Amino acid sequence: MRSMSAPSEAAPVWHYDGASGLRRAPLLLFAGDGFVLSEDGREEGPFRFDELVAEQDGRDGRRFGLDGRPGWRIEFREAPPAAIAARLPGRRRYGRIIDRIGLWPAVAAFALLSALVVYGVTATPALLARMIPRSVETRLGDLMVGDFGGRTCNSEAGDTALAALTARMGVEGDVDVRVVNIPMVNAVTLPGGHVLLFRGLIDAAETPDEVAGVLGHEVGHVAHRHVLQSLLRQLGLSVVLGGLDGNVGGYTNVLLSASYSRAAESEADGYAIDQLTQARVSPKGAARFFERLSGAEVKAKGAGVVLGYLASHPASSERQKRFADAAKGSYAPALDADQWRALKTICGDRPRSWREGLGF
Amino acid sequence: MIEEDGADSAFAFEGNWRDFAPIAFTNLLLSIVTLGVYTFWAKARERRYLWSRTRFIDDRLEWTGTGLELFIGYVLAFFLFLVPLGFLQFAIQALAIRGHEGAAVLAVICLYLLLLYFIGVAIFRALRYRLSRTYWHGIRGGSDDNGFGYAVSHLWKTLVGSLVLGLMVPWAMTNLWNERWRAMSFGPHAFRSEARWQPLMGRYLLYYLVPIGLFVAGVVLAFVTAHAAPPESPEEVQTGLLLGFALAYVLFFVVLGLIALFYYAAYFREAVGKLSLGDLEFGFSARTLDWLKLMLGNIALVVLTLGIGAIFLGYRNWTFFVRHMHAYGSLDLDSFTQSTTRTAGHGEGLLDAFDVGAI
Repeated sequence: MRSMSAPSEAAPVWHYDGASGLRRAPLLLFAGDGFVLSEDGREEGPFRFDELVAEQDGRDGRRFGLDGRPGWRIEFREAPPAAIAARLPGRRRYGRIIDRIGLWPAVAAFALLSALVVYGVTATPALLARMIPRSVETRLGDLMVGDFGGRTCNSEAGDTALAALTARMGVEGDVDVRVVNIPMVNAVTLPGGHVLLFRGLIDAAETPDEVAGVLGHEVGHVAHRHVLQSLLRQLGLSVVLGGLDGNVGGYTNVLLSASYSRAAESEADGYAIDQLTQARVSPKGAARFFERLSGAEVKAKGAGVVLGYLASHPASSERQKRFADAAKGSYAPALDADQWRALKTICGDRPRSWREGLGF
Repeated sequence: MIEEDGADSAFAFEGNWRDFAPIAFTNLLLSIVTLGVYTFWAKARERRYLWSRTRFIDDRLEWTGTGLELFIGYVLAFFLFLVPLGFLQFAIQALAIRGHEGAAVLAVICLYLLLLYFIGVAIFRALRYRLSRTYWHGIRGGSDDNGFGYAVSHLWKTLVGSLVLGLMVPWAMTNLWNERWRAMSFGPHAFRSEARWQPLMGRYLLYYLVPIGLFVAGVVLAFVTAHAAPPESPEEVQTGLLLGFALAYVLFFVVLGLIALFYYAAYFREAVGKLSLGDLEFGFSARTLDWLKLMLGNIALVVLTLGIGAIFLGYRNWTFFVRHMHAYGSLDLDSFTQSTTRTAGHGEGLLDAFDVGAI
């Protein structure tokens, strides 16, 4: 059966059969198209050369396993003769795909692919957010915020004044604007078109135009669906960058998100200015508000009061200037004196103490 | 019959960092351009190198785990655990925002217990996975236990360990070590593990009492200096206090870190020293000073290379481990047959997901 080859085509190997831990020292001999392992007249095999699997990153490329036989090993005790070496499988290093196309082409291809993925994940939320129906977003928002733990402020006159302000600013019916009894100078937009003006902001505002400016900005976030976009983006980035080492992924995530949130803030400002102009409310109010927050207010009331707003809405001089420059022509106050008084006291007559409102 | 002779250790590392460097650097490069996806394959390559250069008695170890397994393990862990945990966190926020603080606190406690449980599963399965992918003489290790029972132990023993003001931590650590190693096997033999907590208590008490002593000493020192040289202005008091706090802070962590190392060195010697397999007994020889050198070397390596040296940390830690591992006794190769334990098709994903170390 076996075509005995020249002695040089036999190679001494170490061998484990994968069943016992005994190390054997047979000769590898050609047999037909494959090989057998022969020791003391005993033969194992035949095996096919294409069943052999080279050890990856091996020490000297002389150790091989057998496909489907865990623990089965041969290791050439000296460099195998050319006739045998020619039949052995090639070395493995980085992984199947990379070994096939080469390290540098693979690096280039992966880099390109990664750039596309990052671009896709950061750019598609804007498209995706528009594809998700408002009703779904509303349900998501309700799920998240519920009734705000009963912290919303209501009074008959105050509600009327707030309704007057939202109507004046052209806010549509699917946006839900409320004042919440939290003594921080801040305003947030939550999924589902919930705009929350914090009591601290109403307290800090000196004219209704200032509140109108902030309201316009937040409604801008609703109109452009920024909240849903940023949720989707966060989700996408954390999945894509999840594989990276904790810190690297985290930093990249923060950097990418921050650049997009700056763009969103600017977009919301643009929306606010348009709405103010249409409603004939002076954008100077908003400009003054930002100016006060960034300067005098911090010193007078302590940084903690305004930190909330500044953290989410960076007050740059650029931003102030944009609102100030938009002021042209004649304007009427956003609310009359009675309405303004009613809005100021929507959370009760006297501003309550600081800690009382801090429920969470 | 194989025996460790007096001079040579049964374990030896035969590679060098120059051989490893090309692997480390190409791993880094590929991990960056694949946004981290390659890290799983990188880890497999690194282990294959380290294992294949580690000689045990008369032949080297072999790592047969693959990057794909690790990747699948991570993806599984992501969907089975991290996504539900994310939803739970979302629910907690929703509860808090609605004003149900009590329910939110309860949910946070549940979340914590759940995490503790899954960390137990993760530690057990990572060890099982590593043994099942480690071959020597064509024979591998493993376990037929799925680790859920161990996770329950991990949960309650960790909680009990931190009771009595944390005094039972050494008990919990050695107990859990024994429990997980007794569930493991290599070839036909089950591991035996008899680590005791009693020999560790001295060092642990030191770790436990020194902070209190330091605090008292600090207060006394502040009092004495204030009296010896009474400050002349409020500014001086402020600077003095700030300086004192900064000093105390640094001292606290350096001293505490050193004592923690002092305890951990003893723990690891005890844990490995009481481990045996068939007629083989193991030992670990690293003293506190050796651990300190390893740690300082690691820090220096990372800091001096602005972080890039981190790619050699795995190499350093492994060679440290191998250098100090010893084995005594004999192993009968005629009866050293293949393990019959099941092998899972996925890697230690859960452990990666929780970012806790193995062993």
